[in-house]
Amino acid sequence: MSAAFTVTATTGAEEAGGVALAIASLPATFGHAADKAGVADVVAIAGEAGWTGEALQAIESGHRAILVANPCPEDTARLAAAADAAGTAVVLDHRWASNPALVSTGNGPDAREAFRSALGAAAMLDSVAAAAPGSDPHRLLGEHLAALLMVTGPLDGLSLVRNGASGYLVSARLPNGAPLTAQGVLTAARPAGVDIRLYTSDGGASVRVPDPGAAWPAEVRATGPHGDLLLPTLYESAHRSAWRRLKEHLTAGTRPDDLAGFARLTDHYATLTDT
Amino acid sequence: MPIPQIYRINRPVSESAYKEVVDLSHPLHADRPLGVGILGAGPVTQAIHLPALARLRGLLEVRHIMDVDPAVAGSVAARVGAASSSTMEALLGDETVDIVAICSPHQFHAEQVIAACRAGKKAVLCEKPFAMNAEEAGRISAVSRETGVPIVVGAMHTFDPGWLAARRNWDDLPGTAHTIRSSIVLPPNARFEDFATEIITRPAAGTPDYGDVEVIKSMMQGGIMGLAIHDLPLVRQFTPDFADIEVLQARHVRPFGYAVSLRTPTRTIELRAAMNSTWKPEWSFEAIADHAALRIDFTPSYVQAGSATATFSRGSETTTFGPYGHNGYEGEWRELAELARGTRQPPPAQALIDDLTFALAIADATVESAAAEHGRRPAGLAGATGATA
Repeated sequence: MSAAFTVTATTGAEEAGGVALAIASLPATFGHAADKAGVADVVAIAGEAGWTGEALQAIESGHRAILVANPCPEDTARLAAAADAAGTAVVLDHRWASNPALVSTGNGPDAREAFRSALGAAAMLDSVAAAAPGSDPHRLLGEHLAALLMVTGPLDGLSLVRNGASGYLVSARLPNGAPLTAQGVLTAARPAGVDIRLYTSDGGASVRVPDPGAAWPAEVRATGPHGDLLLPTLYESAHRSAWRRLKEHLTAGTRPDDLAGFARLTDHYATLTDT
Repeated sequence: MPIPQIYRINRPVSESAYKEVVDLSHPLHADRPLGVGILGAGPVTQAIHLPALARLRGLLEVRHIMDVDPAVAGSVAARVGAASSSTMEALLGDETVDIVAICSPHQFHAEQVIAACRAGKKAVLCEKPFAMNAEEAGRISAVSRETGVPIVVGAMHTFDPGWLAARRNWDDLPGTAHTIRSSIVLPPNARFEDFATEIITRPAAGTPDYGDVEVIKSMMQGGIMGLAIHDLPLVRQFTPDFADIEVLQARHVRPFGYAVSLRTPTRTIELRAAMNSTWKPEWSFEAIADHAALRIDFTPSYVQAGSATATFSRGSETTTFGPYGHNGYEGEWRELAELARGTRQPPPAQALIDDLTFALAIADATVESAAAEHGRRPAGLAGATGATA
């Protein structure tokens, strides 16, 4: 049986998004488009600067869906309008924010639920993202912010406290005014990933998200007077989770709202880069 | 009756395996126990020092407890069969006391350290901070030099076998680390005090007015000099340019804690603390370089839960040291015994002064920064539950 949807990917998308591995794990749904076989159903592009322009071209070329691997913050207003007009599905594959432990695609428990149920009693949120030396701190900051916004919702008083060769520090306020700090550290001493810890009056919530290069599970914990609850581990990378979401939209004929959420990230990021 | 022997533990142990791994070749003492006198009989003395000393019988013996409240002094002293008094002079005049531990409120530390040195004692332990300003620290240092009495400051993590194992194995990390983090999440002290002993007295808890900037300033000062100070000597070990410390941001965390961001020309330092009603303690120190990192996970104070665990990571490789069988408080007392017997060299006075001035500089700048942050906060947050200052 052939796959339901053909896929083509740019070299950049392949590198940033592990496309071959992800679609190989969904073989009944996705398959590589044969050369000269016309327009593939799905095109995967890399989210480097200027990716929204590339996505606009993909819409004009007639692709039914676009998957963007690791998109950097960029104004998506024109892209969203074009996607709406053409009925094109645009799914964003974030390095960490697309990890299925953050936001469940089904009815399972997830980090967003654990965090949001604790935010009202928040005392402090502390987060650290790590990436290899030589990484672009601005890209890291965008990836970090995307993961944070998944579990916290909009943030107030966002500011860049420090930015340098070894990392950055961002400060903000949670809805109840409690402090949020997000630190980026460039090091090869530890696996890349992001750690988010919310402390409340009697416990809190935490999530540790690994890089999507393998299906390492994120670790989500909800802590309260009852003890420490480890949410079920999901051995699925952020990449595969993004492709699986795309599958669900394509098969159901629905359209994702990724671009709307991404606009919020872009707004927050712009606030930081202006400070 | 033979004198019981206490031996140095030289590799990780579980409580059940304790007796199997003691190194019988290194007895810590061969004479009668050294006498200990303690100034101040509050919860730290009751729940930390007396339980630690109970593990070192034969090496150290509590002989005198002083507290301004004679009833408290008498009650605590009775638990260990010691004499009691309500004046410092009485304790310092007790010739059976060889080592003096100063566990009184901070403002009395300097004068009591100096008095203990002049009283001809063999060693002095002073709870942190050992002085409230550089001038006091200088006077203490001068008296220690003049009298030859060694002084140990109760920065217990610097005596923790997990930290000491890290020191022996960190290679060039203090010179290459660019990022340092100290993170402390603790329940109220009472939770762990009650695991350690039966407390006689506790300070009354107040209801702070978070809208008052003076309250915030006082809590931030207390946060740095009472909590962060546990790990600031560790931070300083990784901060060669510590004299050029700068506070970038300081925010109060309710009900008690802080989020402080510091920087020197070569280091970024992040301090976090949250004391709330959680049961789950987390106390970690991290030093991170481009290609190597150290993380130390400490056990809570009060409980006798063994040492910290030190983990070095280099890419996908990790090396772990510990846990060992005792914590830093017991480590302090072991070192004090060796100092009093003259079998160990005292720490350099300059290191103690540098630790103190480093902490004071951070505390002063943190208080200023937190006060400024308090003034900038949105008006609607003034009385919000759980909100920041």
